[in-house]
Amino acid sequence: MTTLEVKNLHVSIDGKNILKGVNLKMKTGEIHAIMGPNGTGKSTLSEAIMGHPAYQVTDGEVLLDGVNILDKPVDERARAGLFLAMQYPAEIPGVTNAEFIRGAINARRPDDDPLSVRAFLKKLDETMAVLDMTDEMAERYLNEGFSGGEKKRNEILQMMMIKPKFAILDEIDSGLDIDALKVVSRGVNKMRGSEFGSLIITHYQRLLNYIVPDVVHVMMGGRIVKQGGPELAERLENEGYARLRDELGLKIKLVDEEA
Amino acid sequence: MTVEAESYPEIKDYTKAVDEPEWFTALRIKALKAIPQLKLPSFEKIKYQRWPIQLKRPLKQQFSKPELLAELSFERAQHLIVQLGQQLVSAEGISELEEKGVIVCDWQTALRRHSDLVKKYFMKRAVKLDEDLLTAQHVAYLTSGLFIYVPKNTVLTEPLTTYFVQDATEKFDYVHHVTIIAQEGSELSYLENLTTIGQEKTTANIIVEVIAEDNSHVKFASVDRLGSNTTTYLNRRGHLGKNAKIDWSMGMMNDGNIVGDFDSDLTGDGAHSEVKIVAISTGKQVQGIDTRVTNIGRHTIGHILQHGVILSRSTLTFNGIGHILKGAKGADAQQESRVLMLSTKAKGDANPILLIDDNYVTAGHAASVGRVNQEQLYYLMSRGLPKKIAERLVIRGFLGPVLAEIPSQLIRKQLMVTIERKLVDGQKDE
Repeated sequence: MTTLEVKNLHVSIDGKNILKGVNLKMKTGEIHAIMGPNGTGKSTLSEAIMGHPAYQVTDGEVLLDGVNILDKPVDERARAGLFLAMQYPAEIPGVTNAEFIRGAINARRPDDDPLSVRAFLKKLDETMAVLDMTDEMAERYLNEGFSGGEKKRNEILQMMMIKPKFAILDEIDSGLDIDALKVVSRGVNKMRGSEFGSLIITHYQRLLNYIVPDVVHVMMGGRIVKQGGPELAERLENEGYARLRDELGLKIKLVDEEA
Repeated sequence: MTVEAESYPEIKDYTKAVDEPEWFTALRIKALKAIPQLKLPSFEKIKYQRWPIQLKRPLKQQFSKPELLAELSFERAQHLIVQLGQQLVSAEGISELEEKGVIVCDWQTALRRHSDLVKKYFMKRAVKLDEDLLTAQHVAYLTSGLFIYVPKNTVLTEPLTTYFVQDATEKFDYVHHVTIIAQEGSELSYLENLTTIGQEKTTANIIVEVIAEDNSHVKFASVDRLGSNTTTYLNRRGHLGKNAKIDWSMGMMNDGNIVGDFDSDLTGDGAHSEVKIVAISTGKQVQGIDTRVTNIGRHTIGHILQHGVILSRSTLTFNGIGHILKGAKGADAQQESRVLMLSTKAKGDANPILLIDDNYVTAGHAASVGRVNQEQLYYLMSRGLPKKIAERLVIRGFLGPVLAEIPSQLIRKQLMVTIERKLVDGQKDE
């Protein structure tokens, strides 16, 4: 079992404070969801954990099995077991999807023991079948010219191939139609098990019908303001964020709120 | 031996030893006499004049030990020429070309056996002897090379591959000349590999002339990996007749300082030159690349596409010159030069130069010098790839558009292997 703990995390971007003391603890075997209105810092949390260079951590720690990873470069964090399925994955021309994924797997193996092409292709075929992806996706350049839905599937494909300990899924549901949403959820559910934990960031409860979380966190104004079980997500879907905010007595303006 | 040669003792001994025809010795003397009046050529934003680029060592035969080649590996090829220093080491699959009337032979042999042909084309149509100081020095000190002649309407289906290995285990300058003549309607695919063995500080002066007669098609590819202590002047020039085409694909992967002067003269109507260059500069080296296409005939097409990457404290300059002369109605000159910086200490330059002296033509240019995309690096690293590998992948993507346009898959692959090697070596200095 592995633990991921976020302690009092403060993060700013371009001098603007976005996260103002986030605390969160999870273990492999668990699926956590973070819900919250727009502009509340959900994506900032995921990028800060992964180590995006534009996000400055001004205070706090992110501990993987008790070891602070914040002074480690992005690639080391990844090899230590973190994965971020990004909202806007970069396009890399000239590098095929298959070659990239194989490279990522081999980066986790000793130099003298790379995964054979044959074994890799077998696993890739099986995984792509789970995600209803066509063979040609393997040979296309990484994310180049992919539709929004194809990019999301491709993020999940990478996750399933790399098998991280913790996968953060940043709005993996945005822009997906209901069929694609089911496919992506199937991929995540296939990963479920004692060696895998996931932190799912979403606006909507809908995704959580397909991937049922163990814990739901609600984030507002750069902090986690409430925790609960799956029923909390349903309540938010029915009542909206404003009502919870007022109930908690928070003085936070929601970005999309009418003036 | 002419009387005149007697007054140039260093030439006399050498030319006697290699038994070269008198007319060629006379040409050397003509070049020597012209030298005092000639200047170094100048290229926009390439300052190389203080480099040890001038040839000063006397003409001398170099006898290289063939076992030096043991440390190199050569790709198999159906038609293969390997030269080490001034010597021909192997020629494979050449006799079957000769049966078609094709000539492929080393420089000394060409001078002896095909004197008239050499005399007709050498430094006459493409590059001129007295063009500048470096071309004149080239003729005066020339010691090795290759002569290729493809007769009318002859199509070579398999590429001709050459390895020219500079022997810098001794202090010998490398003065090398390649002449390629593609007669009317002929087709040739040629791949040249330039490398260096040894670490002595030397100068290389290399000229390649490609004469593409009417309706001929030459695919010229090169992978250049001259050594870090070799200072090089490399001139490749095409002279194109009516509806002739040259596809240039060049990989500038040298480790030393180099000036590359790559020109195409589109003299015949409908002549077409496609120039694709990828370059990588590493360490402290300077690579200056001046690529020119001159549209002379009507409806001629000149396209330049060059992408380069700079690491450490290196320098890379791309000049792209599209020159449309008066009378070249319907000509098209397009160019794109891009430099990707991986280090803040590296210097990159991309200069588009369009000179247009006629109306009714089309022309365009694009140029950029930019830093590596941080989002791309972040994405790749977030999957566990170490930074250096991630950088190499981004670089490959950057060079991809040029590589994708290289007509031969074999050359593309070979170039990619060389790029990877050069980058891995270059990253050690980061």
